[in-house]
Amino acid sequence: MVLLQISEPGAATEHAPERKLGLGIDLGTTHSLVAHVADGSVVVLPDEQGSVCLPSVVHYGEQGVTVGESAEALATAKPRDTISSAKRYLGRDRSEFTAASYLELQDEPLAFVTSQGCFTPVEVASEILNSLRHRAEQALTQPIDGVVITVPAYFDDRQRLATRQAAELAGLKVLRLLNEPTAAAVAYGLDSGDEGVVAVYDLGGGTFDISILRLERGVFEVLATGGDSRLGGDDFDERIAALLQEERQLEGLNPSQARRLLQLARAAKEALTDAEEVSVDLDAVVPGTPVVSISRQQFDELCADLINRSLDACRRCLADAGLSEVDQVVLVGGSTRMPVVGHAVAELFGRQPLNTLDPDQVVAMGAARQADLLVGNRDADDLLLLDVIPLSLGVETYGGLVERIVPRNTTIPVARAQEFTTARDGQTGLVVHVVQGERERVADCRSLASFELKGIPPMVAGAARIEVTFQVDADGLLQVMARELTTGATAQVVVKPSFGLADDEIANMLRASYEHAGEDMRARQWTEATVEAEQLIAGIDAALARDGDLLGSEEREQLDAAVQQLKTAVQGADIEVLRRQLESTGRASETFAARRMDRSIKAALDGVAIDSLSGDSE
Amino acid sequence: MALVAEGPGASSRDYFDLFQLAPQFDLDLDDLAARFRNLQRAFHPDRFAGQDAGEQRAAAQLSADINAGYRVLRDPVARAGFMLQRLGCDLKALERQPLDGAFLMQQMQLREMAQSLAEADATAKSALVDEVAALMDGALADFRVALADDKLDAAGEAWVQLLYITKLNAEVAGSSEPE
Repeated sequence: MVLLQISEPGAATEHAPERKLGLGIDLGTTHSLVAHVADGSVVVLPDEQGSVCLPSVVHYGEQGVTVGESAEALATAKPRDTISSAKRYLGRDRSEFTAASYLELQDEPLAFVTSQGCFTPVEVASEILNSLRHRAEQALTQPIDGVVITVPAYFDDRQRLATRQAAELAGLKVLRLLNEPTAAAVAYGLDSGDEGVVAVYDLGGGTFDISILRLERGVFEVLATGGDSRLGGDDFDERIAALLQEERQLEGLNPSQARRLLQLARAAKEALTDAEEVSVDLDAVVPGTPVVSISRQQFDELCADLINRSLDACRRCLADAGLSEVDQVVLVGGSTRMPVVGHAVAELFGRQPLNTLDPDQVVAMGAARQADLLVGNRDADDLLLLDVIPLSLGVETYGGLVERIVPRNTTIPVARAQEFTTARDGQTGLVVHVVQGERERVADCRSLASFELKGIPPMVAGAARIEVTFQVDADGLLQVMARELTTGATAQVVVKPSFGLADDEIANMLRASYEHAGEDMRARQWTEATVEAEQLIAGIDAALARDGDLLGSEEREQLDAAVQQLKTAVQGADIEVLRRQLESTGRASETFAARRMDRSIKAALDGVAIDSLSGDSE
Repeated sequence: MALVAEGPGASSRDYFDLFQLAPQFDLDLDDLAARFRNLQRAFHPDRFAGQDAGEQRAAAQLSADINAGYRVLRDPVARAGFMLQRLGCDLKALERQPLDGAFLMQQMQLREMAQSLAEADATAKSALVDEVAALMDGALADFRVALADDKLDAAGEAWVQLLYITKLNAEVAGSSEPE
């Protein structure tokens, strides 16, 4: 038990530590990786050919689904059946996109139209995750206990939920969605052991993030984060493609040609990392087209506004963190290989950025560290991440305005309440409309959910007292509750929109995919639940022995009864009964747990004196 | 639906108690930060990964309280409000009390200046920033003295002035921010 470790450092854990397996997954716009921790160091897993980067490309063909290199090879031949950069579409609506010329999109729900049917971005992402899962299962003999998947820090709630759904669809248990720059900071921080304030500039294939963190004795505290969820390497490719098209008057390209042109544009961009000038042969797009040469300077000018957009976000983030400078700057994401990015970042922060770890792998490496910790491996590094919400959360108020309840960059977990009242006489219900964003007007923010509070007694306008509570857990998941304080009428919602896939649809698809493994699956679930029950019982027993005095006799009886019921459920055979009892016994022990934690607050802070003595340089 | 004011937090904990600090207005912010990190090191829900659901929920609640406490205590204006509340003051009633006319007049003038600040006029802006900072320091000093003398009315007034100055400060800082 953790509390035991607080009061008696170094005491043995009660449950035999069998090392669990947690995977860190970087689900990227252009490529994806999977890593795990073995013997204290991170291993990024390669495929059979020895390549660690899986292209985030999915091909839907008559022979079935292929992912990665083999899918990418079909991109030009079968452009509409080969989906790349699906991450850019996750958790978004059709109206947010001008159609990519080589793809066909369905409106509602947003999906890619292929010759094999329509597939939502969630489904495409789940194929990529599935492929990584297979890679891990092939390489490691142990079952996967859970995964940490990284997302751009600037992803909003709907994009995060879409990512989570994709993982569930791939049969993965998500321990945490971790912000990409935070993951990178963890990898760097643990690698170097350096302390201080670090800015992480993360320019990926489709998204840009900037995060500022303070590293101190294993605690990674995110001070501020910002970015642009629609700025990435793809935009630079498109700029080059547009330039090529204009130079040679290439109009009316078919999807294959458009796809080929983009591939050439990307190759040119990558070549300009080392070369001062490249020649692009457009013969493969339209035969007979003369070669176009592009200089690095020309490219830099072409993309100056894209770079500036990222620098503006950096300045805002510094201001949000209340800082004017940082101790270190780290570059993450393949797009930071462009020399123009390194120069611009060095100039803005006044120091040479670090890129000692592979910018493609560093995010997956950090995620693997966090996964190792969250599966419960207690010998994992003394690592704690304190992350923030990237975008403000609020509700709609009279006149279509937003009342902010949790401002951006608030450390999570957080619980915040605010009081509202009715606008009209005799109003007996109201709609709580939950929005996310920084703008004043609801129409300019992103709508997350909406629910109704009924049963308010008729009163004059302004007399009702409605308390709206926002809770964001350590995962960044939001729960909103509204309560009328004079009557106690309540309503609540867990923000969980769906992206063309309702939860029960996901459940159905999961069931289908598990059918072949039905018996094994049930047996495994039963074993997991009984292990959990035994841990809970042992934990409560141990806690009662130490801190039993914290409970009154009636409370003690209730807890004992709950434990007894759980013991009975373990003897039974019904998994649903056992799960319900686990839940209710867990609830019964919550107050006790809270009191024990309160008791140990003083012990937790005894360390402060030690910190101060150890020559604090702050 | 019209907004009234910020309601009570989800927890009514005494944050000084939580951070094991004497209830004083002047705090060593480095020490506060060290306490914050140590508390989160002990009680953040991630530290209870693999533990039972009761422990995890209790940890989540305590961790949220620690975050809320840190947010309140590290910010002098929020800390001032919390201290008044702790001493039994009704903050909403305080906010409704009429303020000194001269103070309000000055605030209005400064806000107009902030709004009409020319984008490029860095000198005027930095002068205004300095003036607002001086006002903030003055009101904080007033609060500190009033609290030390147990003059809750005067401390309450200084706190309301601090709220005004905070808003003004945000306006001045935001006047050159891109939308």
